[in-house]
Amino acid sequence: MSVQTRSRWAPLTESRVWRSFFRHGMPDNPLDRSLVMTSNIFLHLHPVKVNRRSLKWSYSFGLGVISAILFGVLIFTGVLLMFYYVPSVERAYPALLDIQLSIPLGQFTRNMHRWSAHLMVLAVILHMVRVFYTGAYKFPREFNWLVGIGLLLLTLGASFTGYLLPWDQLSYWAITVGTSIAGYVPLVGATAKSLLLGGPEVGQDALIRFYTLHVAVLPLLMMLAVSIHIWRVRKDGGLAINDSGVTTEDKPADAAQPGEPSA
Amino acid sequence: MATSDLPTVTDETFPKRTNKTYALVELMHGEGPMVGKGPDGTVFSFPVVLLIEIILVLGVTLAVFLFSLLKQAPLEAIANPLVTIDPAKAPWYFVGLQELLEHMHPTLAGVLIPTALITFLVLLPYIDRSRANVGIWFSTPRGKRIVLWTAVYSMIAMSAYILLDNAFSLREILRYIVPEWIAQGLVPAAIIALIVAIPAFILWRRKASTRELMIALFTIMLFSALVFTLSGFFLRGPGFKMYLPWQMPNGYNPLDGL
Repeated sequence: MSVQTRSRWAPLTESRVWRSFFRHGMPDNPLDRSLVMTSNIFLHLHPVKVNRRSLKWSYSFGLGVISAILFGVLIFTGVLLMFYYVPSVERAYPALLDIQLSIPLGQFTRNMHRWSAHLMVLAVILHMVRVFYTGAYKFPREFNWLVGIGLLLLTLGASFTGYLLPWDQLSYWAITVGTSIAGYVPLVGATAKSLLLGGPEVGQDALIRFYTLHVAVLPLLMMLAVSIHIWRVRKDGGLAINDSGVTTEDKPADAAQPGEPSA
Repeated sequence: MATSDLPTVTDETFPKRTNKTYALVELMHGEGPMVGKGPDGTVFSFPVVLLIEIILVLGVTLAVFLFSLLKQAPLEAIANPLVTIDPAKAPWYFVGLQELLEHMHPTLAGVLIPTALITFLVLLPYIDRSRANVGIWFSTPRGKRIVLWTAVYSMIAMSAYILLDNAFSLREILRYIVPEWIAQGLVPAAIIALIVAIPAFILWRRKASTRELMIALFTIMLFSALVFTLSGFFLRGPGFKMYLPWQMPNGYNPLDGL
């Protein structure tokens, strides 16, 4: 089909409503086919072409993507739990019993939320380990390494604040133990602890603070940081594969040269 | 071009007697934008990366889904500030910190060491400024050996530290002899610093690069954290005392607290 031929979809694709949604017509000609590619969000997040080596499973283990997926699962299940959970010392635990015993798929949703949370902490740690051992924090990715450290701390914070919400013995004493560590900080420790708990010990004030941090403050900060993190991955040239050709600078004499053509 | 088995063509194209004054002497490795890259080793993100991501989404979700069918999230009795549970443990990712607190002054274990570790991670890309071997696991075969040895070393050294400090605590012996900040702060800090310094010194003597030194330090940090976390999680029972995981009193199961 030649470019000049008017598409039979034209009445639809040239309407103002369609054009307000999509910046292109039906992809039945070369121009619109390329516009489909350059104007879609997937190719905003990804380059048009990626190096094969960056896709190798044994290189990245997909840990960054897995962390992001788990974050998505946590938001989905977390929002579902929010419909029933009440952050009050009197009502939190009964709400948990309700979720587990009388709400359809309540126990299952809570299970998914909890196991995804543990798994996400693990995935984020392993992601950092992968990035370190492959030297992917080096120039020009230093800043994204720092964003990653921020995301690790935010993930730990999100998990820790969620830990208190069931308001059972396990969560109460885990948070009591956890926040008592903050109290050891010289000079600002006591202030930091009472800022976090809203009082001298874990109670209603602590519960509402942990809840707000858990469902609003930390997820919003994480979404912002994840956006910057993913954006910078593309800006810094994708996954750090060895395409600079520099492999010899500080390599000891006994090192082999994998991937180097011999002639 | 090996075309000698085609004499008719060869004789015409590459005459045996020629007046040419140049010759191919040697092939050199060079630094150029495409040197060593071979053919363009790229694939289209759409649909290759998209498919990989869809598979990951389905795989991860399915894994969590199936595990959630099998294992229930724990819920104990309603929180009661008057009844302590024994042992009271932090979430698993902080239990290493809790284990550390058993061995030294809280300011050292809860503040100075975590701050030092975060500072190390933050400064890392600015200390190790070499740009070589980016995107290669452990950088070099030597880097891989450093990881292996420091991993084994830190697991043995930190396990020994935990067990020895638990069995005959130097701090308790020193408690009434020297001030608290020496017994609880300086002595444990010196022991930990020594454990970290030994492999760093050996590498320094062997003229290790900054990257190799960072690999060693990161590996020590990672595997020490692993040892402390495993010890705090599996070996600590009621009273946060040390038991074998299968000999926990009062039917305490560390896995119930996940």
